[in-house]
Amino acid sequence: MGIQLLVTGLALGSMYGLVALGYHITWATSRTMNFSQGQAVMAGAVVAYGLHVALGWPFLLTLLGTLVASALFGVVIERLAVRPFFRSASLAWLLATIACGTIAENVAMLTFGKDARAFPSALATRPVLIAGAGVYPQELLVPVVGLALMGGVQFFYHRTFYGKQLKAVAYNPEAAGLMGIHIPRAVMTAYALSAALAGAAGLLLAPLLNVAPTMGTIIGLKAFAVAIIGGLDSAGGILIAGFLYGLIESFVAGYVSTGAREIVGFAVVIAMLVVRPWGLGGARPTRRV
Amino acid sequence: MRFGQRLLWVLVGCIAATLSASDLAAQSTPVKIGLAAAMSGGSAASGEAIRRGLLIAIDEVNAKGGVLGGRKLELVVRDDEGNPTKGVTIARELVERERVAAVFGGLHSTVALAQVPVWHELKTPYVGAWAAATNITRNGHAPNYVFRVSGNDDYVDKFLVGYATERLRKAKPALLLENTPWGQSNEAGLTKWFADRGLKTVGVEKFNWNDPDMSPQLLRLRQQGADLVVLVANAPEGAQVVKSKAKTGWEVPVLSHWGISGGRFPELAGELSDGVVFFQTYSFFGSQNERGQYVLRVLREKFNVKGPEEVTAPVGTANAYDGMHLVAMAIEQAKATDGPKVRDALENLQGEYRGLIKTYRRPFTSEQHDALTDQDYLMVVWKGGKIVPVK
Amino acid sequence: MTARLLWAVAAAVAASVPLVTANTYYLYLGMTVGIMVVITSGFNVLAGLSGQVSLGHAGLYAIGAYAAAILATRWHLALAAALPLSIALTAAIGALLALAALRVSGPYLAMVTIAFGIIVEHALIEWVGLTGGPGGIFNIPKPTLAGVALPLPRYYFVVAAAAALALWMTHNLMSSAWGRAFIAVKGSEIAAESLGLGTYGLRTAAFTISAAFAGAGGCLFSFLNGYVSPDSFTLQTSILFLLIVLFGGLGILAGPLVGALVLVLLPELLREFLDYRLIFYGGLLLGSIYFLPRGAVGAVQDLWRHPPRAAAAPSAGVPSAWAPAGAPAGFASRPAPGPGRPLLVVEDLWVAFGGIQAVADVDLTVAAGTVHSLIGPNGAGKTTLVNLVTGFSRPDRGRITFDGVSIIGLAPAVIARRGLARTFQTPQLFEELTVLENVMVGVAGHRLGSLAAALTGRGRAEAAALHREATALLQTAGLGDWADVPAGALPFGLRRRLEIGRALGAGATMLLLDEPAAGLVPTEIAELDALLGRLREAGLTILLIEHHIELVMAVSDRVTVLDEGRVIAEGRPEVVQRDPAVVEAYLGSA
Repeated sequence: MGIQLLVTGLALGSMYGLVALGYHITWATSRTMNFSQGQAVMAGAVVAYGLHVALGWPFLLTLLGTLVASALFGVVIERLAVRPFFRSASLAWLLATIACGTIAENVAMLTFGKDARAFPSALATRPVLIAGAGVYPQELLVPVVGLALMGGVQFFYHRTFYGKQLKAVAYNPEAAGLMGIHIPRAVMTAYALSAALAGAAGLLLAPLLNVAPTMGTIIGLKAFAVAIIGGLDSAGGILIAGFLYGLIESFVAGYVSTGAREIVGFAVVIAMLVVRPWGLGGARPTRRV
Repeated sequence: MRFGQRLLWVLVGCIAATLSASDLAAQSTPVKIGLAAAMSGGSAASGEAIRRGLLIAIDEVNAKGGVLGGRKLELVVRDDEGNPTKGVTIARELVERERVAAVFGGLHSTVALAQVPVWHELKTPYVGAWAAATNITRNGHAPNYVFRVSGNDDYVDKFLVGYATERLRKAKPALLLENTPWGQSNEAGLTKWFADRGLKTVGVEKFNWNDPDMSPQLLRLRQQGADLVVLVANAPEGAQVVKSKAKTGWEVPVLSHWGISGGRFPELAGELSDGVVFFQTYSFFGSQNERGQYVLRVLREKFNVKGPEEVTAPVGTANAYDGMHLVAMAIEQAKATDGPKVRDALENLQGEYRGLIKTYRRPFTSEQHDALTDQDYLMVVWKGGKIVPVK
Repeated sequence: MTARLLWAVAAAVAASVPLVTANTYYLYLGMTVGIMVVITSGFNVLAGLSGQVSLGHAGLYAIGAYAAAILATRWHLALAAALPLSIALTAAIGALLALAALRVSGPYLAMVTIAFGIIVEHALIEWVGLTGGPGGIFNIPKPTLAGVALPLPRYYFVVAAAAALALWMTHNLMSSAWGRAFIAVKGSEIAAESLGLGTYGLRTAAFTISAAFAGAGGCLFSFLNGYVSPDSFTLQTSILFLLIVLFGGLGILAGPLVGALVLVLLPELLREFLDYRLIFYGGLLLGSIYFLPRGAVGAVQDLWRHPPRAAAAPSAGVPSAWAPAGAPAGFASRPAPGPGRPLLVVEDLWVAFGGIQAVADVDLTVAAGTVHSLIGPNGAGKTTLVNLVTGFSRPDRGRITFDGVSIIGLAPAVIARRGLARTFQTPQLFEELTVLENVMVGVAGHRLGSLAAALTGRGRAEAAALHREATALLQTAGLGDWADVPAGALPFGLRRRLEIGRALGAGATMLLLDEPAAGLVPTEIAELDALLGRLREAGLTILLIEHHIELVMAVSDRVTVLDEGRVIAEGRPEVVQRDPAVVEAYLGSA
């Protein structure tokens, strides 16, 4: 039982971590984020379903199409909900992104339909055994892709010129602007990247979760909790927090009760914010006067 | 201050005029029938299924000249969003503004329970087409305005327990329920009826909507030594349950409430859907009676439903279809659309209605407000994506 | 006057609804609006005044509703008894949540409150024995008042009265010292602290008030519907509260009323388009953020008072000078404690940030009743030293005493209350408040009176005294003509003046001025020079950080020179001016 819970928790956790990375990417560049990241995951899954199942596109083409469509979704969110309120002291962007997500959910309901559909995948039909614990191969794919994407993100930010520019924008937008970095474009790129990541997550999770207009809400919320626990500025912290959160969920459900799962999970989030608001992987911020 | 007073009177006048105008409008010819169900959100498919059943029956009645000597039936649909507060608002709106003769209800038991006092306060008959919580119809009101053409969890649970003990001969049942009022109502019913047979459930586990993985719950039930899992879930979560069960490698029979009856269940669960036994009030698979053929034809022509495997939430359509015909008969018999008269007619319905689910003779009495009981349920099993009766 | 008439009309219309219709659908909608007004009036205090956003108020609403339901079903309490109890319980839980939640802000605060809402929702589902589980509680008795049954048309008046009371209380609060303090905290946390306001405590108070209002709304809800179940208290509900306040107008009294009316009634009018409900909802949210930054009420107000508020500014662009000669009013009554003796003493002060010594072994003694200047090249550690003294940063080691008592480790607000006030390099004004109100925040300081008095509008005598004192100070500062201008619209040259005036209002015995001459034109510098002299005559002690050497030389009794975090010279201005080390430091950095 313990091993099965461990495997389940890790699979869940990699899912949360993967989606949570999307929050990190836009936060690291713009100090804003898409509160509808869950709906971006849903949009990715719905688009992938449309391309792969309805239109019969082959998988690689579907992947490409999903990434492009999701990136566009990110650009729309940025234009519509973030840019007008960028760096305004209020949380207008937070509400505006929630609004965009709500609209996206309704659009999905009108186009995709209201009920859940299956996304066929050869990797999610038969479980395999690992150390006596059953797991669908697709679930193993999630952490692999998650780690690869995290590596990619880290490489992009720390090793490429453009990535360093994006990071500079967050630390000091005035200076970055003076250095000739086009800030709106940098923020837009971050949003496109973040939404593409969410879309990839949607495609990856679709065979495991079923595709439905409402599929994103809970995932987006838990991924947000994970991003906060991990530290919005730390991709590594987020990935670790994802695994931790998945394990907490799985073991609380396995040894205490399912009902206690959300309560414990979100209580950990509050405790974490009280004790260490900057997150597992973040650095303590200094107060500016 | 003078001006203020005058303005106030103008405003009061305006409001009064609007109100009386709308009251007059409500008296015009069509007989309005309300539907208060979830039309958006995770349970939207259930509301849509009920709406289809009602529309098909209404078109049938209207094609034959309507009711009360030529008055057409007209459906007024409201979204309760699965929220009881919203449910109470639309209940009052349907009765007080739209002046509906009767209201059909949707999937959420909390909404239905919250509305029960409103129907009685406003004296309007309500016919449940889905929500199965026992105390919706057994609500302690007399006269009782709440009727149901659907499952009643108490009967359903008796039926399921009978099957589990007599046919499957299992002695260590475990419950796996969705964490909703529906799950709660069945926890009570199943526990009661198992106890009636001298059995105790070895474990009770719950899950939330959109939960991605149910393995921890199944592992706990396995540890507690269960030899049967009684499942109360809708299609998406039901599919997750059988997928997680395959992962844990636990070979245990699953006996299910009707939530997994939607045609999407085999699509979502794949080959794992095979062998899951559950109960139905009606199945669009297999040979159909005359009404069944008719309903399927209309579903195909009007709603682009290609076959029984595409009928999502079939119980909603079937229950609503029969319920609508019963209400139309009651209005005819009452010769009026007033709530108390229609209610009395429903309780003393004369004649016979050869319906989709069964043939109804005096479906409701003052003691019995459920038109369908365990006598009318049938046990079926998923096989190759189709529902076949259990022999 | 127009506003009063409008309120009277609104009240009359609200009261006449049950008289013109017995249709329970309209009554029910009216009561739903009323309950929303109660909740969102409190939410307006939190979000509109103190500037905190909560996405978990559905959890508090739920606690109020369930408390009432349980009290009514198990203990058979009537409305009049259940209401105060559910308010008290919700307020207590809200206060506890605030103590945890308000250590963070922005998206982090959003997360804490979301998490709280979810925890409450699941606790209601799981705690079956108390809450009835997912099915909730369904047999709440009909409301009664003094034994008389209240059917819908009568209960309507209870709800309407509660809504009116909620609006009246927020109105009182907004024009009280508490209300100004909330807005000050939203405007500039550090400035509020420098005036002695405890920001954490104020935020907690605002949160607790909003929780109490949500609890009242929950109780009214339970008795209206006769049932409670967890489905009514989801994240969507929390977002609805926010949307109501935002749409109506953040921080505007009538905002919740207009927002609740629109957001409760509009979906009813648009119900034909139920498939597009979420698009409509999202579109409204987006549209109101875009086009109505001050909400619907704010937009109407702006149209009404065209041109907008700033036009109240004096037409002459030339500011009047500081009032001439004589001790400035408002603080003359505070004599310096024993002129000449050491007032502020700093010893061996040391702080390093990330390996860089910002302040190293600094000793500094400021004598009472003197003007003491602190100069040095950029990055010498001057502002850091001020931050250490005023509590905004903690030193790694060293001693700081003020008036003979150690102030190391004290919160900025506590230090400010001991009589140590400061200004900032970039003036930190409370931009939403008027110039006069800015000074009133300073004059009141942390002495806000009782919160109950603020909510019920008592304490008018104190308010009048406060107003007089602040007005006198403004006259002294030469800002009398600007009293009713929003501070945000004040010209740059006057912003610093207001900041100093506000600090004086806070009753300082010592002022720390961080580059007050920066950005001023020569005539303004001359006025500043004169002012500093007068302040010293009035008995104040001043620590002046300044780059403007002429000013320093003219006004200072003593000068301390910092370079790279260390004191390199100290003494009378003309001596320091000739010190080779000082010349070296300035030339070296030039």
